[in-house]
Amino acid sequence: MAMIEVKNVTKSFQIQSFDESTKKYIKTKLTVLQDFSVDFDQQGVTVLIGPSGTGKSTLLRCINGLETIDEGDILVDGMSVRDKHKLKNIRLTCGMVFQQTVLFPHLNVMQNLTLGPRKLLGMSMAQATDKAKHLLNKVGLISKEKARHFELSGGEQQRIAIARALMMDPKALLLDEITSALDPEMTSEVLHILEDLAADGVCMIAVTHEMVFARHVARRIIFMDKGAVAVDADKDEFFTVHRKENERVASFLKFIGE
Amino acid sequence: MSVFDFASYAKFRWSDMVLIFRAAGLTLQITLISLAFGTLIGLLLGIVRCSKNQVLNKLPLLIMEPLRNSPLIVQLFLVYYGLPSLGIRMPAMTAALLTLSLNTSAFFAVLVHSSIIAVPRGQWESGYAIGFNKLQVYVYVIARQAIRLLIPQAITLYISQLQTSSLVSFVSLQDLTKAGQIVAQKTLLPFLIYAIVAAVYFALTYPLARVARYLEKRMGFTI
Repeated sequence: MAMIEVKNVTKSFQIQSFDESTKKYIKTKLTVLQDFSVDFDQQGVTVLIGPSGTGKSTLLRCINGLETIDEGDILVDGMSVRDKHKLKNIRLTCGMVFQQTVLFPHLNVMQNLTLGPRKLLGMSMAQATDKAKHLLNKVGLISKEKARHFELSGGEQQRIAIARALMMDPKALLLDEITSALDPEMTSEVLHILEDLAADGVCMIAVTHEMVFARHVARRIIFMDKGAVAVDADKDEFFTVHRKENERVASFLKFIGE
Repeated sequence: MSVFDFASYAKFRWSDMVLIFRAAGLTLQITLISLAFGTLIGLLLGIVRCSKNQVLNKLPLLIMEPLRNSPLIVQLFLVYYGLPSLGIRMPAMTAALLTLSLNTSAFFAVLVHSSIIAVPRGQWESGYAIGFNKLQVYVYVIARQAIRLLIPQAITLYISQLQTSSLVSFVSLQDLTKAGQIVAQKTLLPFLIYAIVAAVYFALTYPLARVARYLEKRMGFTI
């Protein structure tokens, strides 16, 4: 059984749009994922790529229960996201890091890291601190344990956010365009951390536009287009076979400068 | 009679000063009690305002909007002079406390609501992503940040309500303002007496203003 099973999921949003003919605002339904199915097993790094608005982020948010799904089901380790009582365990299974860094501004770095484990995993302060120090070492920010969020650069905040997600010992990390808001230098420092984690065998599902990352670290690449899986292939296969044969992939890669 | 006619000041006796200080005690008592109740009720109303249930979150408005959009003195008259015609009689003190408490709660609820919704949505999501449930996100993440936004505004409201409490002198309560009136009429020294009354109000509220400024500085970081 795969760790994450996405089965025939449909997800749509209500959006307001302006109707030119009647000159009125109307509510329309925007379907982002349509009868969408995919499996993720707990191995290595899977990269989701594709044009904007194809539902990559929405897929991650649905897996983590941040969005409710209209139809179908998602099972994480056998737990359905439709079961509200299972949401906590699903979220403990899948840690998530967002595009906009969302450290808790009222807490310093160490408190940001230890809050979850203390309140949810029943760790003592000492245990949690030990673990946090270990992870801060890993992301190279042990010197910043007392810092507040405004004393950190965007890249540093993102590394802290990764460490915070790892504090809960998730089976997988969901990464939602975590380098999109960073400049190239900060991006590379975050990607280095992710490469290290991948080498340690941490399972990651990443939405990204960083093809360098995809090339170096990914095991599997899923190319999404119009709310569906267009290509699901091994990395090498994707960059050789599919690039040549699939026109949509070729034009997308060309467009983002690969 | 001039302000500088110091001989006339002899009419101002120590017993008058005692009257003023006693009255200041009553003002403080009315203010503290009504602020305490107002804060508790306001907190409740403000939190209900933040509910996602579209019916539930409008209910507090039924209480808040009439209280926020009519003069306190009219509310006070309505309770003290109006309710007896419906058979509901209460002492002036009770009427004052009831009116001031409810009035404070309406304004406090707005502050609570605005402070909570001012915490960015990403904070909720990263709280959920860690595995917290709604209550835990509220307690560990949202409330801590909302309180930082709330405190300076709350103190400003408290200062204003302490001064507004002078209106209770209209329902026969001998608060600081009323005592000032009595002493001024007796001594015919309105400038001196009202200056003293103003100074006592200042002494009551200025420390609060200082606390607010200190907290604003300490907590005034960007979220």
